[in-house]
Amino acid sequence: MAGNGGAPAFWRETGQLIGAIGRAMGVTLRNLFRKPVTVHYPDVQRQYPDRFRGILALAYDKETGEEACIGCRLCEYVCPPQVIKVEMLKGQKRNYAKTFTLELYACEFCELCVQVCPTDAIIMMKSFDLATADRRELLLDKDRLHALGLTFEPSWATGNRLRDMQAPPRPARAEARGEAKGEAKEPAE
Amino acid sequence: MAATQTQQVVEIGYGGNERLMMNMGPQHPSSHGVFRMILTLEGETVVGVDAVIGYLHRCHEKLGESLTYVQYPSIASKTDYVAAMTAELAYVSAVEKIAKVEVPRRAQYLRVIVAELQRIASHCLWLGTWCLDMGGALGGGATVFLYCIREREMVLDRFEELTGARLLYGFHQTGGTRYDVPPGWDKKVRETVDFIERRLDEYESMLEGNTFFRVRTQGVGVISREVAETVGVSGPLIRGSGVGYDVRRAEPYSSYGDFDFVVPVETAGDCYARYRVRMVEFRQSIRIIRQALDGLPEGPISSRPGVKSVAQVRVPKGEGYTRIEGARGEIGCYIVSDGGPKPYRLKWRGASFSNLAVLPYIVPGHKVADVVAIMGSVDPVFGEVDR
Amino acid sequence: MAWHAIEAFIVLNVLLGLVAYVTLLERKFAARMQSRIGPYYVGRPHGWLQPIADALKLMMKEDIVPATSDRAVYNLAPIVFLVPCLLIFATLPFAPTLGVADLNIGVLFFLAVSSLEIVGLFMGGWGSNNKYALLSAMRAVNQIISYDLPFIFAALVPVVLAGSMQMSSIVAAQQGLWFVAYPLIGQLAFLAFVVATLAAENRVPFDILEAESELVAGFRVEYSGMKFALIQLGEYAHMLGTSFLGALLFLGGWLGPGPAALGPLWLLLKAMVIFLLVTWVRWSFVRIRVDHILAISWKLLMPATLVLLLAAGFVVATRGAGGG
Repeated sequence: MAGNGGAPAFWRETGQLIGAIGRAMGVTLRNLFRKPVTVHYPDVQRQYPDRFRGILALAYDKETGEEACIGCRLCEYVCPPQVIKVEMLKGQKRNYAKTFTLELYACEFCELCVQVCPTDAIIMMKSFDLATADRRELLLDKDRLHALGLTFEPSWATGNRLRDMQAPPRPARAEARGEAKGEAKEPAE
Repeated sequence: MAATQTQQVVEIGYGGNERLMMNMGPQHPSSHGVFRMILTLEGETVVGVDAVIGYLHRCHEKLGESLTYVQYPSIASKTDYVAAMTAELAYVSAVEKIAKVEVPRRAQYLRVIVAELQRIASHCLWLGTWCLDMGGALGGGATVFLYCIREREMVLDRFEELTGARLLYGFHQTGGTRYDVPPGWDKKVRETVDFIERRLDEYESMLEGNTFFRVRTQGVGVISREVAETVGVSGPLIRGSGVGYDVRRAEPYSSYGDFDFVVPVETAGDCYARYRVRMVEFRQSIRIIRQALDGLPEGPISSRPGVKSVAQVRVPKGEGYTRIEGARGEIGCYIVSDGGPKPYRLKWRGASFSNLAVLPYIVPGHKVADVVAIMGSVDPVFGEVDR
Repeated sequence: MAWHAIEAFIVLNVLLGLVAYVTLLERKFAARMQSRIGPYYVGRPHGWLQPIADALKLMMKEDIVPATSDRAVYNLAPIVFLVPCLLIFATLPFAPTLGVADLNIGVLFFLAVSSLEIVGLFMGGWGSNNKYALLSAMRAVNQIISYDLPFIFAALVPVVLAGSMQMSSIVAAQQGLWFVAYPLIGQLAFLAFVVATLAAENRVPFDILEAESELVAGFRVEYSGMKFALIQLGEYAHMLGTSFLGALLFLGGWLGPGPAALGPLWLLLKAMVIFLLVTWVRWSFVRIRVDHILAISWKLLMPATLVLLLAAGFVVATRGAGGG
């Protein structure tokens, strides 16, 4: 630190040191007057983006109001940590899920179950407030999943939308679906 | 020379009155994860280091054998959890190599944008935690850390708008990507990148000429070119030691050949050189992102239909190894396929695993305070080391 | 006699409250520099009750004593650390007639007693029977001893310029011009004083003693609960004490516009200025390595402060000779 190049090197190094110290302290001072970036959670909620992957829930069919899940168990097979367990109940016109349990404490939130669901039954919500005092409350059964689906705002991503986004474009199919549902592929921002 | 050096430096056992065996244990504020170093000290100088890893072993390679090609990409992000996009890219590229799947150009460009954004986020975290280690959690280090995290949060917000997740994405799939760009995203990414570029100037002014910082990083942890090439480090470590090896240049993947960027090389080999390399990489990543956004082609984001079932991707018999330039170095993924929906064998070449092997060569002779600076500049992530 | 005891009691209590709130000031100031808010919830909106909450929490914590520690040394260390840090306030006058003991040798007493904390520090490091604590205690002894000398020399410059060690007369000698405004000697001495304060206080950039990222709280690592509170109290009290000393010696003490009754307020404000300056430096820099710290002290600060002291003496001699 002490200049061993003689007197001029010492003064030059000291000058550099003082300059560097001044610059660093200037940056900190400038930040003193900037607005803090803190979001006062839980008083203020952050804006979740449309595709937010939050809590999972089961949805009802938009037209008929019935449960959308047909108990096909595709989500159970695709789930990497195997947290979903479904039992199918065969009906006359269509199948249902007799039991549907989801172990939320082990869920990875990878959205693969949402992606494979053929009927957009399982969806993710725009909320992540999962904390409970008891782990057993995180073992969600079918009633709880349906209740969650009605409590929070659903994310944009449903199975059909995700698969449409990924597939190579087929205009006829996209148009047909667009006319039938009467909604845009993506809400404009 | 190298063999005898390794045998010399590992000292286990109490060597006498002057030597102190200190454990920089798995729980330590600056070990960057769970990592244990048994240091042998003479006063303040380290004379031997014995590194113990394996505290974060989660059987990724065995998991790869039981999960299909559809399920594993979201798990792959958990190896290098700080730079998840590059880890997934390694796996998915290996599968595509064996199956000879063509990836559409839009997907390639998206992969580049996302990988470079991830590199920026990872380097923000690196700079923050390195200064935190060197400056103290109650001191100037915390200031730089919070500034860097503030910028990283912006990048993570962009990822959240793209995929829905902030840290572990599951963005890639065989044949392309899973998500397309939401409207308004490219404008936001441009704003983010411009903002970060301005803030980078601030960080550099805080650290560059700062004598305290220079004094702690220059001449510390010098990896000579021979040691770097022998041990097999990669990424900023080897580029800081004079070898200009960047996988994006050496074996361009995912249309990196279309972009114009500079690969930074420094010859000093010390912590300061690696710092300079990463700071230049920040700016080059910003440059690549701008070019990719300008030239983003229209088209499908995947050459395979959307995932509908778990065993959808079947890969013919064969094996393949791909290399990716991750934020920490060269990530490699080696897959042996036997024709089914799951790999027969999956092997990860973790960048940090090879980078950590350089520690017994460079740590002895330095003070305890330097150990922390060296660990920070090596920038390990233990998900990659222990898998 | 009784009046002195009561006065000492009042000063001590006010001091402890001030020390607690100074921690809040530091936390808010540091938070604003880092684009965040700092204590907020306890006593909204500015966290006014946070120091009280911290004190209550520390009092209610379990007192864990390591089984293999040296009991007597371990238990006594916080007290031996704290007492000198509080004793220094005995010699600080807050107004021309307000102060516990305005000694003739006030500055000498302050400097001598404040150096005693190193004993408590080393006792803490040794008694903890922990390699990290021991390493940190050894570094601390190294550092504090090295920086005490420049600290003393820098503090002696105003003594020489004023011609007395009594603090009230040093302040009285600044009636015309504060010592910090003296051309070159004053500024350099003040700068050396601040740097030596940073080092004697184990503040970043000189905090290798605690170095959270290497030694995880240094000599304090084995202390919890009330003992930790005493050590924290001692550290901040020492910090505040040297801030007050700096305000008295260099910044003109209680001199300021307005009636004389406002004197203590000016002193407090000036001490806060020094404290915030030290805090600002602390939150801007990374720490430097121990050998560089010692190099700065012995190769740079010691000769510099010696030269300053000699220059101050020269100035006084010529002024005395010229003035008659």
